[in-house]
Amino acid sequence: MKGYRKYFQNKLIWLLVTFVFAFILNFTLPRLMPGDPVSAIVSRLARGMSNSTGMKAVYEQYTALFGTNKPIIEQFFLYVGNVLQGNFGTSFSQYPRTVADILSNAIWWTIGLQFPAIIVGWLIGNTLGALAAYLKKGFDKVLMPVSIFVSNFPAFGMAIVLLVVFGVGLKWFPTSGGYGFDLMPSFTLSFMWSVIVHYQLPFWSIVLIAIGGQAIGMRSMAIYELNADYVKYARFLGIKDRKIVMYVFRNAMLPQITGLALSIGTMVGGALVAEIIFSYPGLGTTLLSAVTGQDFPLISATTMIVTIMVLVANFAIELVYGFIDPRIKAAQMD
Amino acid sequence: MAYVMLELKELTTKYITRFHEDVYAVDHVSLKVEEGKSLGIAGESGCGKSTLALSLMGYYFAPLHYTSGEIIIDGKNISGMKPDDIRKTILGTEIAYIPQAAMNALNPTQKIISFINDVIQAHDPATSKKDCYDLARSVFENVGLPAEVLQKYPVELSGGMKQRTVIATSVILSPKVLIADEPSSALDVTTQKVVIKMLRDLMEKGIVKSMIFITHELPLLYNVTDDIMVMYAGQIVESGTAQQTVFDPLHPYSKGLMGSIIVPEAGLRDHKLTAIPGVPPNLKKPPAGCRFADRCKYVIPECKTNSVGLHVLEDDKRAYRCILPEEELRRYYKNA
Amino acid sequence: MKNTLRQVFQSGKFLVGFCIFVALLLIVFLYPIFIPDPPLAILGQGTFFPPGIYVSTFDSINSQTIYTLNLPDAAARRIDTRLNDQQRQDIKDWLVLDGIPADQIDITNTAQLLDLWGKNYDPNKDIPGLTNAKRNYYQRLSVSLQGLLLTAGQIIALPNATTGALEQTGAVNQSDYVNIGQVANVRVLPLGTDNFGRDVLTELVRAAGVSLEIGFVAGIIATLIGLSLGLLGGYVGGFLDDIIMFITNLFLVIPAFVLLILISFSIGQESRGAFTIAVVIGFTSWVWTARAVRSQVISLRNRDHVNLSKLSGHSITHIIVSDILPYIASYVVMALILQISSGILAEAGLSILGLGPRTTEMPTLGLMMNWAMIYQAQILGKWWAYFPVLLTIALITFSMNLMNTGLDQLFNPALRD
Repeated sequence: MKGYRKYFQNKLIWLLVTFVFAFILNFTLPRLMPGDPVSAIVSRLARGMSNSTGMKAVYEQYTALFGTNKPIIEQFFLYVGNVLQGNFGTSFSQYPRTVADILSNAIWWTIGLQFPAIIVGWLIGNTLGALAAYLKKGFDKVLMPVSIFVSNFPAFGMAIVLLVVFGVGLKWFPTSGGYGFDLMPSFTLSFMWSVIVHYQLPFWSIVLIAIGGQAIGMRSMAIYELNADYVKYARFLGIKDRKIVMYVFRNAMLPQITGLALSIGTMVGGALVAEIIFSYPGLGTTLLSAVTGQDFPLISATTMIVTIMVLVANFAIELVYGFIDPRIKAAQMD
Repeated sequence: MAYVMLELKELTTKYITRFHEDVYAVDHVSLKVEEGKSLGIAGESGCGKSTLALSLMGYYFAPLHYTSGEIIIDGKNISGMKPDDIRKTILGTEIAYIPQAAMNALNPTQKIISFINDVIQAHDPATSKKDCYDLARSVFENVGLPAEVLQKYPVELSGGMKQRTVIATSVILSPKVLIADEPSSALDVTTQKVVIKMLRDLMEKGIVKSMIFITHELPLLYNVTDDIMVMYAGQIVESGTAQQTVFDPLHPYSKGLMGSIIVPEAGLRDHKLTAIPGVPPNLKKPPAGCRFADRCKYVIPECKTNSVGLHVLEDDKRAYRCILPEEELRRYYKNA
Repeated sequence: MKNTLRQVFQSGKFLVGFCIFVALLLIVFLYPIFIPDPPLAILGQGTFFPPGIYVSTFDSINSQTIYTLNLPDAAARRIDTRLNDQQRQDIKDWLVLDGIPADQIDITNTAQLLDLWGKNYDPNKDIPGLTNAKRNYYQRLSVSLQGLLLTAGQIIALPNATTGALEQTGAVNQSDYVNIGQVANVRVLPLGTDNFGRDVLTELVRAAGVSLEIGFVAGIIATLIGLSLGLLGGYVGGFLDDIIMFITNLFLVIPAFVLLILISFSIGQESRGAFTIAVVIGFTSWVWTARAVRSQVISLRNRDHVNLSKLSGHSITHIIVSDILPYIASYVVMALILQISSGILAEAGLSILGLGPRTTEMPTLGLMMNWAMIYQAQILGKWWAYFPVLLTIALITFSMNLMNTGLDQLFNPALRD
């Protein structure tokens, strides 16, 4: 257990370091660009695009909150302080709602959608990939090209295909939203059912994409492992094939877990765009409306939240990995 | 004559490539290993010696396939047995194998003891973990390995330690015949010595009854095994005692392997194979005549057309595969 | 080198991918030569014209030669296009609601159906249970059915210049035909028009070209950055390597698309051209290449031939160019291929978010998707506005990944089946 604690500490330190850099990037990138957020707000005011008192109030509030007239270092610490308190200012496009309010709604939809979808996709994909490597012949011949095709298909493309086939064509599932537009979020049976029905298409479009990529990765890993020397040795010591296959899949799965940690960012990115296709009330759709409304506080906060989600997911996967792979503990012991 | 522990009669196995061509990598090989004796098999890489090692266990995986011949271990003919029976009753208990690349021979995510448990329980599922551990511990200590090794993962062991662990694991069920496929080739010289000594100890302590040792370093065999067999292009081209094969080779190929000078034993250890010009024939289309003809210094026209059998000399142990009579070969070698 | 190329082209997967890719490239290059129309020219007044051959009505009426063809099924076809089964059923529904017994209505008997309809339909009649939209639908239907069964010709009239009264100038008989080859204005729109009335095919070909350019620029930038960092970190090692690895690992966990969104948004709509977007994508996606190159270089660094080169006093540049690059070339090419295809996908994702290149100059595949989504082509069933785009994206990425898989199997023999 001592080895694992050391591993855990290393990973925790790394998580904190990446947090700090994510903060810095999220803060500096927009301010480095010619059209920095504050001047963008000013120009919107000047052009009279949003001549409302509300906008002016937002601007003043934003200036005060993030100290945009103060030196950049001071601004940064103000920003960090605010973010840590969950205070992201007020949204331009959905005035007078606060950014925190908008996001605290959206984030659960996204987590509820993407977390299970990625896990299910990962599990199914790895199973199929392992089967393809083991069974070869017909199964592999069909699965491989299909997987290559599916995994290169953009997530939003899969979303559209599912939407058109099952939503518009067959009318099995609704085409947009997270629940029926005539319902209010509540713990009633009809609302729950509506959520479940609306969940299917976005969920499966993310799952299908994840399956393709994972199946290819697992197949390569499993083929590689099936040809490993220890397989041959174990066979000639009389160990049953079924047992050896267990060794192989376990060993092939381990790099797949690290692979998931490394690719989770890309997967979440694709899934956010897929959300848009279904107008799913998560972070992706929030991001779209923020971009459309030139709503800087909302964009900045959404990207920050997504980054934090990805970092935490990454950290969690690494922890699980350290638990599963015995070599990690052993290596930390020395 | 001593009891024959392992006998092959005209064993032939082939690889089927992914283009569905047959490659006969082991071609009508017959051999005998007596109880308490060891046999060395030498040859260039690709001559079929490793395939022979895999073939003589009677347990085949694609792309390797059994074609014909018999394998008799301890008086039992196993060539007709069902694969699962061979797995259960022969592998590991009658005949065991030490692979070429011991570095990667152990499952990296399993403790040594857990793998040994799997090996023992594959033959007798009823064995308790405690019994497995006691057995493993006694075997490991018997071969001079500390019992702590059992609780480690392969990554925690050094190269030499890993190799010795593999050897100890292979003999955990006291097999009668041990097949070692280049067990020392990837190791440094000191570790090589340790490993060779360990293999000889196994014989001396009676943990294994007979041994087959495969290497491309013919001189190495002289110190290790009683008899030596030389393989070329899937066939045995020469066999005899270690002394005979190393110091008095008859087949031009074995002669070539040893080079032209006979060096005293001390220098022999460092004497590696000298290159013989040319390449072995393509076994997808083996030549009709002698397979060595294209590279042979003493080739005559008949070599290319007549198939050549194994000449067995009067003492029954000594044999060579050449169209030329013994005296003529000796004369050539003398004049060279 | 020659040998490697020959091997590469013997790999089935690579060859299939390569053929698809070259075919796409050829279309992108050759299409504008044959059809030089500007890709974003607005042809149609209205959204989403379905695919088909469009013939100028004006030109066909005023065609010099009118041919008389007596086609037996002409009348039936005409009725079919204006009164389909669904509409027949709708008429029946209305009539039933109006109180006519259902068994008296035979929807296959056109004459009887229209007769019933003509006698009973009154737009002002109040039918219970009919929504307003449905009521309007019936009014439109009724108008479109007028004169459906007439066998007389259509009269064409012009207003008299002095009196303003309509005067007959000619008649068009039902058996009058014109040869499409003699009609001055015929436009083939194989994929119809998009929401702005632009020819989808022309737009798509240009968009594929622009997206490929974006992919190439992004891929080359990413590969160059990744290659330099990987070589530097891997070969020089030490403190420099530590720094490079730190940065690489950092950007490995901080999702690239988040950076992409932040930068693209901050650049602002005005300065966001296709090239800028490509550069931004390139600068956010070098991480994988850097990692892969570094680990390759580290394993090469202590090989004999590199040591020999060092002992011979060759410069670092020389060693890298002649002793290291050739060995990692295959990896770099594979990484480049992947970068190009992921660059194209990144642009598409960004455009759907509304952060794509400026919209007035040129189309990209992502922008076409974005437009189709904004105008709800997917809900309205206007498949030609989005499906060909999706297919093109899929074909590009599929072909590139096939090539990549083929190369991978060639250079990593363990993966061969």
